[in-house]
Amino acid sequence: MLSRVANNLFWMGRYIERSEHIARYLNVNYFSSLDAPNQLSQSRQFVLRSMLFMVGDPVEDESAIVDEEKVLYQIGLDTTYPFSIINNVKYARENANSARDLISTELYESINKFYHFVLNYDANAYVKNGLHDFTVHVAEMTAILRGKMRGTLLHDEIYAIIMMGVNIERATQIIRMINSKHTDALRAQGSYGDKFSNSFEWTTLLKCAESYDMMRRFYKKTPTSISTLEFLILNPNCPRSIMNSLNQVYEHIKVLDTSKKYNKESTAFLVGRVRAEYQFKYIKEIETDIQSFIEDILSSLSEISQKMEKEFFNY
Amino acid sequence: METTENQMFSSYQRNPELFDEIYDKDGKIMSVYSELFDLYGEHSIKDYVKLNDKAKASFFNQGITFQVYDKKETREKIFPFDLFPRIIDPQEWDIIERGAIQRSKALNLFLWDIYHDKKIIKQGIVPMDLISSSANYLDQMVGVDPPGGIYNHISGTDVIKHKDGKYYVLEDNIRCPSGVSYVICNRTALKRALFGVFNHYKTHTVTNYAENLLDLLETVKPKGVDVPNVVVITPGMFNSAFYEHSYLAKTMGVELVEGRDLFVENDFVYMKTIRGPEKVDVIYRRIDDAFIDPLEFKPDSSLGVPGLFAAYKKGNVTLANAPGTGVADDKAVYTYMPQIIKYYLNEEPILNNVHTYHCSRPDELKYVLEHIHELVIKPVDEAGGYGISIGNRLTKEEIEVVKNQIKETPRKYVAQPILSLSVHPTYIEDTESFEQRHVDLRTFTVLGKDREFVLKGGLTRVALKRGNLIVNSSQGGGSKDTWVLKK
Repeated sequence: MLSRVANNLFWMGRYIERSEHIARYLNVNYFSSLDAPNQLSQSRQFVLRSMLFMVGDPVEDESAIVDEEKVLYQIGLDTTYPFSIINNVKYARENANSARDLISTELYESINKFYHFVLNYDANAYVKNGLHDFTVHVAEMTAILRGKMRGTLLHDEIYAIIMMGVNIERATQIIRMINSKHTDALRAQGSYGDKFSNSFEWTTLLKCAESYDMMRRFYKKTPTSISTLEFLILNPNCPRSIMNSLNQVYEHIKVLDTSKKYNKESTAFLVGRVRAEYQFKYIKEIETDIQSFIEDILSSLSEISQKMEKEFFNY
Repeated sequence: METTENQMFSSYQRNPELFDEIYDKDGKIMSVYSELFDLYGEHSIKDYVKLNDKAKASFFNQGITFQVYDKKETREKIFPFDLFPRIIDPQEWDIIERGAIQRSKALNLFLWDIYHDKKIIKQGIVPMDLISSSANYLDQMVGVDPPGGIYNHISGTDVIKHKDGKYYVLEDNIRCPSGVSYVICNRTALKRALFGVFNHYKTHTVTNYAENLLDLLETVKPKGVDVPNVVVITPGMFNSAFYEHSYLAKTMGVELVEGRDLFVENDFVYMKTIRGPEKVDVIYRRIDDAFIDPLEFKPDSSLGVPGLFAAYKKGNVTLANAPGTGVADDKAVYTYMPQIIKYYLNEEPILNNVHTYHCSRPDELKYVLEHIHELVIKPVDEAGGYGISIGNRLTKEEIEVVKNQIKETPRKYVAQPILSLSVHPTYIEDTESFEQRHVDLRTFTVLGKDREFVLKGGLTRVALKRGNLIVNSSQGGGSKDTWVLKK
């Protein structure tokens, strides 16, 4: 496989995954805030800021008032806004376009349908009453894409590259969500009847990661800070957990690097190292300093991505 | 104007002046079309409107689009596709196929000759001026032996059916002829929309193009290579034919590369893969001559590969088509085709040539200037239907402009009598009815070492504007599925 095309496919995977997480974050936060138990969580400003924080464009000015329709439009359909869903889908399709000869017709057609759906979505309807319809559709279409990837591609190095992209991005987005909701939980702490560890924001976080129902089944308790973080970070059986993503990244890098003993400079070695670190960790170690954990894991993920670039995409 | 009783064609108006392919001389439906005509007649025009929309959606979802650039942003459009197919019976097809092979072979021998001994010029059959004044003649190719002895691996021969019922060649395209993917997409789209009609006709498949192309490209591998590594090179995804490039790479199962994916070391060509460099032996290039190698041609080209031409000259890599083929699909060379065929193959041309006047010859120039109103004036070295003037469509002022242009550079122009392209019933969205539209046919011929292949089918191009004779997609043309019937 050509290095350039490998790079494009890696990013195709990342952009598809990213668009899904943003869509779900918008959806869950907006709708759960409508009847949130405390005033702050219910406030529109709080939710909109949380959305901007999650996509990577936080509002620093505490007194600034953000406009609901503007924020929703920006994050959803604004082609001039670098973090928007529409741009993510566009980039995903552009990357797919350049590798059309390598991926299946079925996968390509689904990406293309997805693109035309987002492109033709009426912006006015979306900001007025289409948020639910739009975001649910985006999430569903990405699920179809994942199905087409698994079901129609040859499970060779091309697939491995795409899945590396998907899983690195998934881990990254889940951490961004954790970061964002952790910040929200800290901010909402002072308000009536809601302590940090029992914050309503943990439920929202789990829903954003589509992991709420399964978390309830696993712990049989109302989510707390520690159980939520344990589930989303360390539980290898939760398909959205960081641990699960790292395990998958490790499985896929093995397809790309078949050496028996990894070179210490290789991507595979690094992935194995990061994975081993979280495989044998107590959640208490993380919970005491969530902020450092977030910074560490984000920098590990970006280091993996950079290593891949050097090792495989260097053209 | 006559009308018919068939439901779908009830408002079809037939202009007796035009040669309509589905009617015979007596105004009856041709026998090959009668069953199709009845089958379509079972539908109402309303059904048809729906089918047409469905077919369009299918093209969008398959991503078979081209980019339109307007002020603010680029938009995607699909090539208009007509759901009423064109049928060619086996006898007629036989003539087209044999004729296309004959022309491709003759052109190949002609190219070899003009880049080697130039016998045809020395013997006075074609004038030296024809080559020396051509912008597409590459001095770099003189004395170069392309692997397998093939220059024009892929040729697109454009033919039309004239009023007299005979096929004429309009032009030979032997640089990077495109359109073959649309032949296959049109078939797919028609099958999806109206699969039932295929049960009534025994039609040749068109999906075997890629496998034949790959087979033939492998026959022209460089010396000393066992199983050649074939790639397709594209200018990139913003090229209007990118879909076709990716389609061909995918169906041949080979890599689609860009110039930046390749490099040359010690006169061998390699591509950069995730596992390091990999040698490349045969390149089906969809990049024009001028851009293939910045060291040899346009120095500012970023599409090509530095050193590629040197590797080619050493015989270490095959380029299909060979550089420098453009000199032979020049419209001025076209006029010598009957002589060229006779000279190299000692055969009579199977397909007719349209009589052509050379503005470079004083007597013919005089005739052209006096008869512009009944001639088509074509620049000799433009592709895509650009720069063509049709005499009887010009105003007096425009005629004067054209005359002056010709007088300024006579070598640049040829003229031909205005041919009456046949017409075919074509669905027109604006009027929601079938109307007569002019059509031509692009055929695809592949030459390999001692083997050749003609795709049984072709791209029937339709001029969608009423009365328009230029069918190129860049000039607002559409296309039709083309059925070659089995014997």
